[in-house]
Amino acid sequence: MSQGPSIPLRQRLLSWFFLFLGALYFFLPLIATLEFSLRAKKGVLSFLAYERVLRDPKFVQAFTFSLEMALLTVIVGVILVVPTAYWIRLRLPQLRPIVEFITLIPFVVPAIVLVFGLIRVFSRPPLLLTNSETGTQILLVAGYVVLVLPYLYRAVDTGLQALDIRTLTEAAQSLGADWWTIITRIIFPNLRSAILSGAFLTITIVMGELTMASFLVGLRAFGPYMSQVGQNRAYEGAALAVISFMLTWAFTTLFQFVGRRALGGDQTFVAR
Amino acid sequence: MAYLSLTGLSKQFGQTIAVEHFNLEIERGELVSFLGPSGCGKTTTLRMIAGFEYPTTGQIVLDGVDITHLPPNRRHIGMVFQSYALFPNLTVAENIAFGLKIARRPLEEIRKTVQEMLDLIHLSDYGNRYPYQLSGGQQQRVALARALAIHPRVLLLDEPLSALDAKIRVELREEIRRIQQTLGITAVYVTHDQEEALSLSDRVVVMNAGHIEQAGTPFEVYNYPKTRFVASFIGQLNLLPVQVSDPARGVVLFKNTPIQVELTAPLAGVSEATLALRPEELNLGEVPGRNHLRGKVLDVMFLGAIVRVRVDLQGHEALADLFNERQMSLPRVGEEVTLNFPPHACWIIHE
Repeated sequence: MSQGPSIPLRQRLLSWFFLFLGALYFFLPLIATLEFSLRAKKGVLSFLAYERVLRDPKFVQAFTFSLEMALLTVIVGVILVVPTAYWIRLRLPQLRPIVEFITLIPFVVPAIVLVFGLIRVFSRPPLLLTNSETGTQILLVAGYVVLVLPYLYRAVDTGLQALDIRTLTEAAQSLGADWWTIITRIIFPNLRSAILSGAFLTITIVMGELTMASFLVGLRAFGPYMSQVGQNRAYEGAALAVISFMLTWAFTTLFQFVGRRALGGDQTFVAR
Repeated sequence: MAYLSLTGLSKQFGQTIAVEHFNLEIERGELVSFLGPSGCGKTTTLRMIAGFEYPTTGQIVLDGVDITHLPPNRRHIGMVFQSYALFPNLTVAENIAFGLKIARRPLEEIRKTVQEMLDLIHLSDYGNRYPYQLSGGQQQRVALARALAIHPRVLLLDEPLSALDAKIRVELREEIRRIQQTLGITAVYVTHDQEEALSLSDRVVVMNAGHIEQAGTPFEVYNYPKTRFVASFIGQLNLLPVQVSDPARGVVLFKNTPIQVELTAPLAGVSEATLALRPEELNLGEVPGRNHLRGKVLDVMFLGAIVRVRVDLQGHEALADLFNERQMSLPRVGEEVTLNFPPHACWIIHE
């Protein structure tokens, strides 16, 4: 049988060509943005735009605010999704198509509709929430949980699929474990990498989210802030885009690293 | 009263009846196995004892206490699963300690019990490994240790060896029996493998279509099957159609050849019946005082300790298992042979 090296040269060149084309499509705009962001000072390349962005207290504020919202969204989302997905797989498999459909709603209903709905319902008694900071933040997190549902639910459900949860549950029960113990000591730890990947997607989405943030909290959030800077100041906007890109990548790497290290159990997936 | 008694147990899933009229008494320290084809209700019955299913009717009493409706985590019954079901996020030692930690045993006691269990299953140095680093047989030992660590009142084993290969299966089966006897633990073992059931049980419960066909020692069930199902499910069995010619003296005719049967039940009023005969009871040649059947050799299988000869008895096939001997001359295919067997070796089935 012919091995790797005997793949025809023409075919190999063609593969490389398409890979190059793909890379070009991805990296060219990024490189262009990067190049542009370095031209804030006329005639020379400098980090001036970056200095200005990072020195702006509003940047740090907006960034921290959105990160907080993102983490809250992850916490609320995970607490909501993990037990639900677990229970559906364990006891209510006939409900799965329905729940899957529900989690897909954010793809069908645009964020703008969702946020108007939220504002309409919660801007009058008895559920008045829009008149206080905490209130709007609660609404924002609630909206984000819905928005990231498709990603989070799917990530967790896929993680559950890789486990024989029924037998694991029964094994734990026969050893005296109650539901709380089963979920916290067996289900959560074994889903760690699935939860992490869901959490990572959630953070990425929330950090860049514009629509809901604009209507509920305005420039306090990172998305609206980026959009405003981009409109008013070209170089800083480009620098901001590059920064947020880098942060996203840093997050990915961090999660991959933490995910791999902190896990004993998840390695079984590899072993299988 | 028995240690564990199952009374009038039945389970229905929608329209399907999985188990019905199940009555069984299990003594303390006994190993009872449920044997039957898939779908016979053996696993469902086990799961009712474990508490994973609640019976539609009937009662489960353990050590004088009705546990029929007690949730599984309060029954204190250990369970070993076919798929091992070790917690992948925990080490071997943590898996074994799991039940003890939930019971909030003191740390020192947990450490000691875990080490005892590891020694018991001959995996003393494997405490820090993760399940995925172990072979299937080792994982199942750990699962056994985990179930035993809580000192369960009953140990349930649901086809624990089915996922393992033949050699490990035999080794582990002996080990399970050894451990069960050492600890004097009451155990219920579900299997579809008759050799497994016969070799390690104190009693075998043969099940079919949701009910008990027969319960008894392996010897009883094999040698004195009460129903046609038990007879044909356990071991090889030759079945020959016969006519009853002298019901009083126990003489039947197979294609006009008279056969003397030792009567265990009256044959009066029966004209057509089936003669049942284990292959290992058949021998070659003529021996005075025995029954004889003539036939033609269809093939000869040499299995090592046993030589299995398939013989055509005037249109009916029969198997004869002969013990291997070095001086033996193997029958040839096509040869005419005479098979002999004593009257007490065969029995009549009529239903």
